[in-house]
This record gives sequence, structure tokens and C-alpha cells, in this order.
Amino acid sequence: MRKGTRSVSFTLNGEKKTFATRPDEKLLDLLRREGYRGSKYGCGQGTCGACTVIMDGRAVYGCLLYAMQAEGREIRTIESVGTFERPGEVQNELAAAGAVQCGYCIPGIVMSATALMESEKDLSDEIAREYMDGNLCRCTGYEKIWLALRRVFDRRAGGSPAPGRSGKGAKK
Amino acid sequence: MKLREFVRPSTLKEARAVLRELGPKGMPLAGGTALHFMRGRTPVTAVDITRLGLSYIRREGDFFEIGAATPLADIQRRRGPRWAMHEICRRISTHQIRNVSTIGGNICRVFPWADLPVVLLAMNARMLVYTGGKKRAEVPADDFFASQPAGRFAGGDILAAVRIPVLKAHHGFGSVKASRTAAAFSLVTVAALLELEGGRIASARVAAGSAIPFPKRLRSVEAALAGREPSAETFRAAAALAAGDARWIGQEGMSADYVRELAEVSLTDALARAAEFARGRND
Ligand SMILES: Cc1cc2nc3c(=O)[nH]c(=O)nc-3n(C[C@H](O)[C@H](O)[C@H](O)COP(=O)(O)OP(=O)(O)OC[C@H]3O[C@@H](n4cnc5c(N)ncnc54)[C@H](O)[C@@H]3O)c2cc1C
Ligand code: FES
Ligand code: FES
Repeated sequence: MRKGTRSVSFTLNGEKKTFATRPDEKLLDLLRREGYRGSKYGCGQGTCGACTVIMDGRAVYGCLLYAMQAEGREIRTIESVGTFERPGEVQNELAAAGAVQCGYCIPGIVMSATALMESEKDLSDEIAREYMDGNLCRCTGYEKIWLALRRVFDRRAGGSPAPGRSGKGAKK
Repeated sequence: MKLREFVRPSTLKEARAVLRELGPKGMPLAGGTALHFMRGRTPVTAVDITRLGLSYIRREGDFFEIGAATPLADIQRRRGPRWAMHEICRRISTHQIRNVSTIGGNICRVFPWADLPVVLLAMNARMLVYTGGKKRAEVPADDFFASQPAGRFAGGDILAAVRIPVLKAHHGFGSVKASRTAAAFSLVTVAALLELEGGRIASARVAAGSAIPFPKRLRSVEAALAGREPSAETFRAAAALAAGDARWIGQEGMSADYVRELAEVSLTDALARAAEFARGRND
């Protein structure tokens, strides 16, 4: 083993994995290097949200987390939410609302919205704003992103299933 | 900060032993969010203190005890009577940062913009420091923030918890953070604790930070409040004395004079909020 190399084990998108890393490698760098390219590098300093992943149910910045901090934790990336062929509910609504321009911010936005829906029953504007305040979008002006998210949140609140996805995610 | 090694002790005792042995080559890591920005020539060993049972909030008699490794998000989400810490935590950075960064990380190495030291000074909080013995050393906020607290931890001691007095009836707390955007660093942060008695201010603790080199109490403001009626005029007159306690520093695009005015207005608002709280605000 090369000097300075360590290993870190965590659950990644439901699978137990072990990776070689360095003590100061960022989680975002590890993920991208291992092929999980959905999480983006924007500012690299905890202000834009493009790198947002979920750790133990909470939205966190992959660029401000050392990979070693993830030991034993459960990490989820955008790859767990949907694919191009089978997008998730939030992704569908974002696309339908025309809320995606360059798209760079979108994986982070989807992860923050996912963490919100999994943690809170109350999806009012006030709570939603708090959960979404760490994601910047340089293109859209947020209007359409917000519209798309509200559609998903309101559907959750109303207990109706997501259209076209056989009610997945609305079971709770 | 370059990390040469990353260790995860499983007890407080073990963490302290590791840190003592490493000396300047070791560094406690809580959320780690500040470590990414710290400049140091020699790489350090990060000692992860997030697996030591230090993440909790509980009521202990007359105090709320917050474990040092409790994320700001948990403090922000908690609600309850006579609890006021959520207000300032909601104003710190973004959701993702609040999910990771801890109360200990915010106060053990005080950066000029840190918001919690200001609040803890006003609230007369006590820091519980693990020094190896059975009992944790209790350090009042005034001592803890008398100088950069990081020095206190150089020998391997670890902040274990923060105790915040449960506000009594007739006690009120208010804080104001002025910033350019919701997630931006503070331009000025102020906090006030008022004790009302028979329609008058029996005692006051007022603190400020961010636009001054280091967070501190504003003693002239406090003195001007004692014995007075909690009215808008009293608050304005007291706030106008802040310049005697603190030399406000101009910031990007803002003169020192502007910052002084901003601080005075913020103080007036924080005092009004504290008085409202004392009279029975319940959120
Ligand atoms: C983009 C961004 C914006 C921010 N905005 C704000 C803001 O507006 N207001 C504000 O107040 N803060 C702000 N912060 C600061 C943020 O709150 C700090 O990064 C955070 O407080 C550090 O907490 P941490 O748990 O990540 O600490 P760490 O990075 O783990 O540690 C910070 C320092 O404290 C020491 N330490 C930590 N815990 C202990 C302990 N228990 N005992 C002894 N020493 C300890 C560490 O060794 C280190 O020196 C911001 C940070 C970022 C990245
Ligand atoms: S890349 Fe992590 S917050 Fe911008
Ligand atoms: S769509 Fe371009 S940053 Fe959001």
C-alpha cells in the first residue's frame, strides 16, 4: 500500500463498500473518482450545494467532508434517486416545469429536497426554505425550481401517488 | 489544513490521551468544516470526536446541556419553553453546514465572524471541559471567551458540553445578526439577556461580535439598562453607548461609522426582542 493510503468503509446507495483514500481526501473527490459523477464540484468551499449528498439522512456538502468522516455511515448520492431512463419524482417535475437550464445545481437540489421529504411531515414554505437554503442556482432564478418542488411537496401532503411511478415514494 | 492521519477514538479518555501525545501535531475534528480552511504548514492528525457520545441536548435542572459535538441543525430544530438557542442557529450559514458543524467547533476556535460566542456570552453559559478527571471543569463564558479559547485546548483537553441557564419567567433573550444575504457571514451580531422585575430592568447582559476583533460584552450598555424601564428610548440610549465598549471596524464597502450605526440599530432590536420574550413571547 502506498504511503498515506487508508481505507474507509461505508454504505453507498445501499451497498457496503470499501475504498482506498487519503486522510485528507474529500468525500466528493472520492465519489467522483469512483464514478459517482452526479455530485458536482461547484465552489469547493461549502457555499453552492452542487456537491450535496445525504449522510445518515441529512443533506451534507461532499466538498466539506473528509472521506474518512463517512466511516460506518450511510451515504446516498443522486445516482440512488433516478437515472436518465427512469428519473425520480423530483427529477420528473423539474424537467416538466422547465426548471433545468445548465443543470449543474440540479443533483444537489434533488438531494436536499429528498432529505427534506424524508425528515419532515410539514412541507410548508417555511420549512422547505430552510432545507433548501444551501443550494444555489446560477441560471434559473429559482422560480421554476420552486414550482416543481412545490408540486411534489403538495402531492406528498395530499397523500396522492406520483404520476407514472406506481405510487413509489408516496407509500408512507 | 493538511491531514497526515485520521484517527477515531471511541472514548473521551482515549481521545484526550491521543491528543496529549500528539501535541501540536494533533487536532480535534468535530464537523471538520473549519479544518478545510485553516492554514498550517505542518500536516496534523485529525482526531474525530464525533463518536464519543457528545451529541445531545437535555435539560439538567436549571440548565440545558448541549453536547459539544451536537450539530447546529439539532439546536435549531429544538423548540420548548424558555429555550432561545434555535433563533441564532437558524441564521448560521446553510442547511448543509448546520447539519455538520457543531457548537463546539464554533466556539473552541473563535473566528472573527462566529455567532455563537456572542450568544453564549450574553446567556452566561458555562463550558464543561474534559481535563481527564472524573469531573468536568466548568468555565464561565466570561473566562472562556476572555481570549482565543483554542489555547485552552492545546494540551489535549476537549470541550465536552455547553450549559445554558434555563431562562426564568421575567427573563428574556434576543439576538440579531445583520448580514448581506441569508447565508453570508455576519456584519455584526449582537445578543441581549434581560431580567425584568416590577416593570424595570433588574439586570442585563449584552454582547457583540463580528465587527470587532473578538466577541465581547458591552458593559456600558449593560450599565445604562440597569434600573430603567424597558422602553424603546431606554434601548436606544443604551445602544448609543456601545461605541465606548467596542471599536467597530469598517468592512468591505462599509465605513466604520456605518457599521457603528448598524450595531446600534441591531442592539436596539435585540433588546426589544429580549423584553418581548421576557413578557411572555412563547416561540
Ligand atoms: C461556508 C461557511 C459559512 C459559515 N458561516 C458561518 C456564520 O455565518 N456564522 C458562524 O458562526 N459560523 C459560520 N461558519 C463557521 C462554521 O460554523 C464553522 O466552520 C463551524 O463552527 C466549525 O464547526 P465544526 O464542528 O465543523 O468544527 P471543526 O472544523 O471540526 O473544528 C473547528 C476547530 O475547533 C476545534 N474543536 C472542535 N470541537 C472541539 C472540542 N469539542 N474541543 C476542543 N476543540 C474543538 C477543532 O480542533 C478546530 O480547531 C461557516 C462555515 C462555512 C464553511
Ligand atoms: S461544491 Fe460543495 S458547496 Fe459548492
Ligand atoms: S440550472 Fe444552471 S445552476 Fe441551476
